[in-house]
Amino acid sequence: MIPVSQATAPAASDSPPASPAAPKDGRTSERSLARRVLARPEIGALIAAISVYVFFFAVASPFREASSLANVLYESSVMGIMALPVALLMIGGEFDLSAGVAVTTSALTASILSFQLSLNVWTGVIVALVVALAVGAFNGYLLVRTGLPSFLITLGSFLILQGANLAVTKIFTGNVATDSISDMQGFDQAKKVFASEIGIGGVDVKITVFYWLVFAAAATWLLLRTRFGNWIFATGGNEESARAVGVPVTFTKIALFMGVGAGAWFVGMHILFSFNTVQSGEGVGNEFLYIIAAVIGGCLLTGGYGSAIGPVIGAFIFGMVSQGIVYANWNPDWFKAFLGVMLLLAALVNLWVRRQATRR
Amino acid sequence: MDRTSRPRSRRFPALVAAAAAAALMVTGCSSDSGGKKAEESADNAAAGKADTPRMKVALITHAAPGDTFWDLIRKGAEAAADKDNVDLLYSNSPDAAKQANLVQNAIDQKVDGIAITLAKPDAMKAAVAKAKKAGIPVVGLNGGIDDWKEQGLLEYFGQDESVAGEAFGEKLNELGAKNAVCVIHEQGHVALEARCAGVKKTFGGKTTNLYVNGTNMPAVKSTITAKLKQDSSVDYVVTLGAPFALTAAQSVGDAKSKAKVATFDLNKDMVKAIEDGDVDFAVDQQPYLQGYLSVDALWLYKTNGNFSGGGQEPVLTGPAFVDKENVADIAKFAAKGTR
Amino acid sequence: MTTDNSSPTGAAAGTADTGAGTEPGTGAATSTGTGAGPDRGADGSAAPIVELRGAGKAYGNVRALHGVSLAVRPGRVTCVLGDNGAGKSTLIKIVSGLHQHTEGELLVDGEPVRFGSPREALDRGIATVYQDLATVPLMPVWRNFFLGSEMTRGPWPVRRLDIARMKRTADEELRNMGIVLDDLEQPIGTLSGGQRQSVAIARAVYFGARVLILDEPTAALGVKQSGVVLKYIAAARDRGLGVIFITHNPHHAYMVGDHFSVLRLGTMELSASRSEVGLEELTNHMAGGAELAALKHELAQVRGVDVEGLPEEADLRAPVTSGAGAPAPSVPTAPPGGKDS
Repeated sequence: MIPVSQATAPAASDSPPASPAAPKDGRTSERSLARRVLARPEIGALIAAISVYVFFFAVASPFREASSLANVLYESSVMGIMALPVALLMIGGEFDLSAGVAVTTSALTASILSFQLSLNVWTGVIVALVVALAVGAFNGYLLVRTGLPSFLITLGSFLILQGANLAVTKIFTGNVATDSISDMQGFDQAKKVFASEIGIGGVDVKITVFYWLVFAAAATWLLLRTRFGNWIFATGGNEESARAVGVPVTFTKIALFMGVGAGAWFVGMHILFSFNTVQSGEGVGNEFLYIIAAVIGGCLLTGGYGSAIGPVIGAFIFGMVSQGIVYANWNPDWFKAFLGVMLLLAALVNLWVRRQATRR
Repeated sequence: MDRTSRPRSRRFPALVAAAAAAALMVTGCSSDSGGKKAEESADNAAAGKADTPRMKVALITHAAPGDTFWDLIRKGAEAAADKDNVDLLYSNSPDAAKQANLVQNAIDQKVDGIAITLAKPDAMKAAVAKAKKAGIPVVGLNGGIDDWKEQGLLEYFGQDESVAGEAFGEKLNELGAKNAVCVIHEQGHVALEARCAGVKKTFGGKTTNLYVNGTNMPAVKSTITAKLKQDSSVDYVVTLGAPFALTAAQSVGDAKSKAKVATFDLNKDMVKAIEDGDVDFAVDQQPYLQGYLSVDALWLYKTNGNFSGGGQEPVLTGPAFVDKENVADIAKFAAKGTR
Repeated sequence: MTTDNSSPTGAAAGTADTGAGTEPGTGAATSTGTGAGPDRGADGSAAPIVELRGAGKAYGNVRALHGVSLAVRPGRVTCVLGDNGAGKSTLIKIVSGLHQHTEGELLVDGEPVRFGSPREALDRGIATVYQDLATVPLMPVWRNFFLGSEMTRGPWPVRRLDIARMKRTADEELRNMGIVLDDLEQPIGTLSGGQRQSVAIARAVYFGARVLILDEPTAALGVKQSGVVLKYIAAARDRGLGVIFITHNPHHAYMVGDHFSVLRLGTMELSASRSEVGLEELTNHMAGGAELAALKHELAQVRGVDVEGLPEEADLRAPVTSGAGAPAPSVPTAPPGGKDS
C-alpha cells in the first residue's frame, strides 16, 4: 500500500500548474483491475492456498479424494471458526491469548453443569455461552480500564482459565476429564446442531465446515458493510484518532473480545458434542494457531488491516499442510519441520504476491 | 440523513437478559437420563487409618497439569497418605530443572521421604544426591527404570515402558495384526516414544509412528482419519492415552476403515468403549498402584525399615491387559475414577 | 474508484496550483470572503460562538495557563501563537473538551459551559482537527470522512453502510472545499499531509462544525503543503465557520488571521485584531533578539516558495514591506495559472 502512496502524493503536487486542463493524475487510474484485486489482503493467501493444494494433489494420491478434502476442511473449520473472531480482534488492534483455553472452558462449563445438576444439556449450552461471553467481556473491560497491553491481560486470563479449568473440573468430577454426557437428555439434539455430518455426493462433510463458511460470510459483511466494521478498522488503525472523531472505541473492543468468547463457545460446544467428554488440559497452545491463521490470511499483526476471508484461507492452508503431510506419508519424525517449512513457504508466497500488487 | 453515532449498547444488556431468561426456562427441564444422579449409586469404601506419628512425604512428578493418567497416580498416593497418617506434598513440573528445584524445595521442608519420577534422570541426579545427604529416603516411580538403582533410590514402582510396549506388540501378534499405526500425542516425549519403539520391537507386522497435536482433539481426529485414508491396509491404531483411543475410534468410523483401536492406559469412558467393542483392548500400567505403593513404601520404611526389591529389582505395576473378557471386573473401579 | 473528475480545473487532486477562486463550488464564497476583507479588522461584527474569559488551567501545582481571554466569531480566524510550552495545547484541550479549565469561564453562545468529553464539545459544534490528523491511515478516504458518523440504511439487524451515498457525499463535500481526489477508495495514508488535513477540515465542516480548532495544522508540513492547508482554512472561514488556528508560525497566521493572540509561558502576551498589528510586530512578539534573525531567514524561505504555492506574490509582500496596520486580503485572489517556479 505504502509505495503506492508515495508515488501518488508527489504526483499530485508536481503536476505543472500551466496545464490545468491536462487529464488528471493518470497515475492512480493506472491501478488496473488485476492490480487492485492483487492488493486485497487475502489474495496472497489465496494464491498460497492454491499452490499448497496443487502441491499435495500432485504428491499425495489419497489427497485427491473428495473425502480427504472433507477431512482437511474439518480440521480447518474447527480452527477457522475461532480464527474469525480472533482475526477481527487483531484488525481491532488486540490479541487474545486466552482464546485457546476459553474453548475448553466453555465446553467444561456446559459438560460439568449438565452432568452435576443432571440438567438437560441445553441448559449447560446456554450457561456456557454466558460464561464465554463473560470471559470476553472481562478481558475487554480490563483492557479498556487499565490500558495495559492485551498481550499481558489475556496472558493473565489464559493462565487463570487454564488453572480454573483443571481445578474446577477436579472439584466436581474428581477427575481431570468431565464425565460423558452422551446419555443425557438433549444430547442427541445438540449433537445434531453442533457436531453432525451432512452427506454431499456420498461424502460426509462435518457441519462445522458449513458453519465456518456462513460465519466467514457474516464476518465479511460485518467488517465491510456495517458501522461496527468501520469502527473495528478505525480502532485498530489509529485508536486515538478513532476516539477523537467519536468512534466508541471502548464498546468496539469489548464487543470484539466478546466475539472471541462467542467463537470459543461455539467451538467448545462442537468439541463437547463430538467427543462426549472434555479433557481439562486441552486447548493450550491453540490460541497461537488462530493468530497464525489470521496472519497467513493477511491480517496485520499491528492491527487496522485485514479481512475475514483471509483467516478462512489461512486456516485452510494450515489444515491442508498438517493433513497433507500425513496423506503424503512423509517421515513423521520430520512432521513439525515440514509443517514449518510449508507454512513459511505459504507466507512467502503471500508476501511476494502483496509486493507484486503494490510494486510500480 | 442518519448521522447518529450511538453505539448499540442499549440493546446489549437486553440480549444478556434474554439469554439469562432462556437459561432459566431451560433449567426447568432436567435430564432424566445420565448425569450425576445416575452416578451417585457408586459407594465409597472407607479404609482404616494408621496410628503412627504424622509424617511428611513429598511426591514430585514430571506431569503436565490436567493429564488423566497423573491424576490416578496422585489419587493412589493420596489414598495411601490418608491411610498411613501421612501429610502428602504433591508438586509437579514437566520441566526437568523445575522438577529438580521442587526436590530441593522438599528437602528444605525437611520431609520424611520423597517419591519422584525420573523422566530426565541426569537432571535429577544432583537433587537426589542432596536428598540422600540430608538423610531423606527417596523412592522412584513411573519413570526411570534404568536409573533408579544407579542413583541409589530405595526402591522403584512402575512399568517398564519398553516392556509394556513389547508386551503390546506381542499381543498384536497374537491377534494376527499386520499393520499398526502408533499415535504419539506429544512429539519428543521420551516415554511415549519408548512405548511405540517397544511395540515396533516385538510386533511382527509393520509399525508406523503418527504424530498428532494432543491439545487439539479435532486435529487429532482429522490426522488419524488422514492416515487411515493414506494407508488403507492399517488394521490396528495404537494410541498412547485413553482419550486419544476414543477419538481414534471416531476416526476409524470417519475413514470407513476396518482397523481396530488398542491403547495404553485406561479411563472411565474406556471401560464402556471396550464393552461396546469400539476399542479392542487397553494396557494398564496401574498408575494408582504406583502412587499408592510409593507413599506406602516410604511409610513402611520409616515405621518398620521394610523395602521391596532389595534395592536391586524394580516393583512392576504393569502391564495389565484389559479387554472384553475382563473389563467387567474393573468397570466399577474405573467408574470411581481410580483405575 | 470514483473517476468522476469532470472539472478540468480539478487537476492534480486539489493541489496548490489551483486557486480557490477557480473551483466552481467555492467561487461565490471566495469572492464574498475577499470582499469582506477590509472589514474584518473589526471584531465586534458578530456575537462570539466560543469565548474564554480569564480562563486558566492548573495541573496540580503547575499552572499551564492563566488569565486567557479569547473570542471566536463566525467567519473569523482567530490565531493563537506561541512557542512550544506556551500553553497552546492546554488552550485547545479546554475548548475541545479534553480537559476542564480550573479558573475563569468558557462560554458557548454566551452561556458558561464545562465539557466532559470531546463528544460534548462536538455536539455543540466545536470540532478539533488534531496535529496527528485524526485519520486512520490504512482506511479509504471515504471511510475516514464518515468515521464515527457513518450513514446507514435498512432496519436492524441488517442495517448496513450506505456506501454509495457516503462516497457521493464525501466527493461532493471535498469538491466544495476545493479538494478533488480521483480515487476515494485509496487509503488516506497515501495522501500528502496537506491533503489529509484538508480532508479532516472538510469532514469537520460537513458534520456541522461551527467552530473549527486547528492544532498546528502546518507544523509537520512542507511549505507547499502548508499553503494547501491555509487555503482550506480560508475556505472554511468563508463558509461562515469560526476558526481557531493554533500555530507558532506568525507568517502562516498572518496570511489567514483576523485576530491574533500570542501566548507566552501560559499567559496572554498580545491580543490584537488585524488592523492593530502587523506581521513584523507579530513576529517580534513571537520571538525576540537572536531568535528573530533565524525566523527572518525562515520567513524569507516561506515567502520564496509561497509564490508558487499560494496567494499572489504582491499580497504576500504587502504586509512585510508596508509594515503594521496594512490590511491585506488573506484569501488568495490570484487568477488561475498564477506564478509558478
